[in-house]
Amino acid sequence: MTMKSSSHYLRHGGLMAIIVLYTLYSALPFVWVGTMSVRTTGEISASHFAWPEIWHWEKFRIAWVDSHFATYFWNSTIVVGAAVAIVTLLGAAAAHCLARYNFRGNRLVYFILFSSIIFPPQIILISLFQVLVEYNLYNSLIGLTLVYVGLQLPLTVYLLEGFFARIPQDLFDAAKIDGYSDFEIFFRIVLPVGMPAIATTVILNFIQLWNEFLFAVVLVNEPGSSTLPIGIRRFMGDYFQDIGMIATGMMIAVIPVVIVYAFFSEKLIQGMTAGAVK
Amino acid sequence: MSTVMVFLAPALLIYAALTAYPVLRTFYNAFFTIGDINTATFVGFDHFKEVFKDATFWAAVRNTAIWSLVAPVMDVVTGLLLALCLYAGVPYARFLRVAWFTPVLLSYVVVGILWVWIYNYDWGIVNVALRAVGLGQWAQAWLGDPKFALGAVMITHTWKWAGFNMVVCLAALHSLPSEVLEAAELDNCGWGAKLVHIIVPMLRPTLLNLYVLAFIGKMKVFDLVFIMTEGGPMWATETVSTYVYKRAFNWNTFDLGYPSAIAVVWFVVVIGFVLFFNRVFKQKERLEY
Amino acid sequence: MAVVRLANISKRYAGAATPSVDDVSFTVADGEFMVLLGPSGCGKSTTLRMIAGLESITGGEMSIDDRVVNDVPAMDRDIAMVFQSYALYPHMTVAENLAFGLKRRKVDKAQIDERVGKAASILGLSELLQRKPFALSGGQRQRVALGRAIVREPKVFLFDEPLSNLDAALRVNTRNELVRLHHRLGATMIYVTHDQVEAMTMGQRICVMNKGQVAQIGKPLDVYRQPADAFVARFLGNPPMNLAKAKVVSQGGANFAQVGGAMLPLARWSAADLAPSAGDVLIGIRPEELGLLEGGAADANALRGTVSAIEPLGAETLIVVDLDNQAGEVTARVHRDVQLTLGDPATLGFAGSALYLFDAKTEKAILASAA
Repeated sequence: MTMKSSSHYLRHGGLMAIIVLYTLYSALPFVWVGTMSVRTTGEISASHFAWPEIWHWEKFRIAWVDSHFATYFWNSTIVVGAAVAIVTLLGAAAAHCLARYNFRGNRLVYFILFSSIIFPPQIILISLFQVLVEYNLYNSLIGLTLVYVGLQLPLTVYLLEGFFARIPQDLFDAAKIDGYSDFEIFFRIVLPVGMPAIATTVILNFIQLWNEFLFAVVLVNEPGSSTLPIGIRRFMGDYFQDIGMIATGMMIAVIPVVIVYAFFSEKLIQGMTAGAVK
Repeated sequence: MSTVMVFLAPALLIYAALTAYPVLRTFYNAFFTIGDINTATFVGFDHFKEVFKDATFWAAVRNTAIWSLVAPVMDVVTGLLLALCLYAGVPYARFLRVAWFTPVLLSYVVVGILWVWIYNYDWGIVNVALRAVGLGQWAQAWLGDPKFALGAVMITHTWKWAGFNMVVCLAALHSLPSEVLEAAELDNCGWGAKLVHIIVPMLRPTLLNLYVLAFIGKMKVFDLVFIMTEGGPMWATETVSTYVYKRAFNWNTFDLGYPSAIAVVWFVVVIGFVLFFNRVFKQKERLEY
Repeated sequence: MAVVRLANISKRYAGAATPSVDDVSFTVADGEFMVLLGPSGCGKSTTLRMIAGLESITGGEMSIDDRVVNDVPAMDRDIAMVFQSYALYPHMTVAENLAFGLKRRKVDKAQIDERVGKAASILGLSELLQRKPFALSGGQRQRVALGRAIVREPKVFLFDEPLSNLDAALRVNTRNELVRLHHRLGATMIYVTHDQVEAMTMGQRICVMNKGQVAQIGKPLDVYRQPADAFVARFLGNPPMNLAKAKVVSQGGANFAQVGGAMLPLARWSAADLAPSAGDVLIGIRPEELGLLEGGAADANALRGTVSAIEPLGAETLIVVDLDNQAGEVTARVHRDVQLTLGDPATLGFAGSALYLFDAKTEKAILASAA
């Protein structure tokens, strides 16, 4: 191996130092919140950065029950779960159609759906508010769910169309010869074969919608129907100085995402970077 | 043909109802004063004229522009450097990848509150650290001082997204043909030379793509500002998004028409920029390898 | 120009059960064109990359011109390499591609222009200097890769299967051009390929590798005529040498190889030559040495069987004969006008000197020491 000169060690050491510093910069804040979530606000005020002596796990229960975190959590679960399910189905159907069928206007429809990814949300924020109020869907989970479906549709179609287009045509020809109808082909071939891409979009959509804030704050006002991000923020309003409780709330919000990430990190990263690498 | 319709119709219906129609309606709103849900008074181009005279709007534009043009550079450079560290093969690379990527997954609410605490004057990590090393005089009210607030929020935003840029750059680095890098090594290139002459030029499409993605993201930014500063202090961190929100839902006079006009103006600006970038950054020839 | 010496070079990847390159030794003389030949996975590319400095050397000593270069980084070894995929810098023009290495080595501009111009004219690239790689054909890209190596004026040229991405006609042309280039430059060149035609036509010496080890080194025709083992015997030559299992039997004081129904005389081998193999041997005959004998001819050096396949190639015809007694199949090259049908009986005769013997277990050649 090449002889290691002193400058090599300096460079190597310098690189390691930067890496360690950056890792602290990146991960420490999160660890800090974690420790605060099991300490009481009194303990925190006394010493903000100490490691927990007593692990107050009951704070999680308090947050869940007394502070309505259970409600926020279930609202988020229902809305996000339903929205992801619907957008995946509709998006897959549309993506399959665009990828597999040649018809006039195919590329135009694709472009229309895809281009809305760059729209700033304000361009639909106010009118969606009006629409929901007019149809009595303001402050309703159904309304929010529909809006979420609309928000994630372009991305879903974009990701799935790319993948579906690469499924070899031979598979479809063979299925046609075997007598399958178009719908059967969709459910029996496209969905199973496209499962990796579908899984990726599900994970991506889940994480984006779980954390979604702007539309939730505008379209839902009532505490009983609020989703988790709004709940936490309301927490900040209600418990402004109760840092310990806020930290606990934050951990509750973060845990599902961390779980998804722990299991699906590869797929997640693939999905997020799809299309970004050119 | 009918199969096509069945597959496409539901998605197109949702799109039409929840994206296309609202866009058009916002355009429509911009020409009216909408005092409450049912009254709309036609005002022609008045709103637009007002927008151009609105000092707060311009302050918001200035902030958003600084953010959108400057921060993406930080984002992409950080992402590339982090990716290079992992590509060069440092120990514990898998753990580092996870640690550096996690902020991307956190919601803006969590990130915002977290960094409000980090920037806290009395006990936030930044000031505590400064005081600990004897640089106490540099401690500031980071989010309370108009001079520093925007920068502070920008750093938080970059903190969240660095991991995403890193992951994309890493994937791009792995897709580079190793033989070209070996040829460069034979051509007397050390790491620095390889980076400047080979890696960055070959990665150019991806890096530009990341820049544009970051640009779009920062033009839209709302959540973080709303949580951390609500646009203050004194509009130092006001962005176009927060301003639209405030005018629509948090103003002493209720009028949905004016913020719609702002939204329309901003929509045109964003699309304009994207088209501009597309034209300017377009690779005239393919980097075939 | 330089001498390249490999002494007991080996390479083992971390965690691998067996080494990829195992105790390889050879010396390439100054100005020689040496070909490393072998099937995929035999370690020839790894060996080449170790010479280049792109792979670390696990064991042994590598020297260029008497200077041990085991720990010398690739850029300081004064070698140039032509990669299989050409590895051109896609964002630079041809001229920039050619000049890049020189610029990095701080050669002055006048020298760079002169060398680039010379290389371009040798390779017919002068009109393409301002183009980028994507606008070049495969053959043109390959020449740019060559040019990049030439302008460096290195001590040693290394080639890693440079012709495999070209179509057949271009391959033949470029082969000849490379040989001409070698004559013109007189440089030491080490060339890796799996194509034995390239090895035979281009190499001054070839080194046949198998499973990480050197099987045989020598001049192409020498290796062809006197293969050291069954692997080399089958690897060179198209169609490959016929091999069949045989038993050595003694009859009337003389030794014979019994294969199928035939008893082939082994006059050229003494008893001492045959002893180590304990009677289990492989006989080898090249297809071009087999000729059709008229039916019934009672020749000692003959094999009998039935025709199982006929492949008319135009210039000649290949026939596959299933030997009697299930002794195996042999392929023979016969004149293109031969008329045969499937199932016909065939007798294939050959000269006694064309017979090869290999030990059935070790597969090493059994050399003939008697006259």
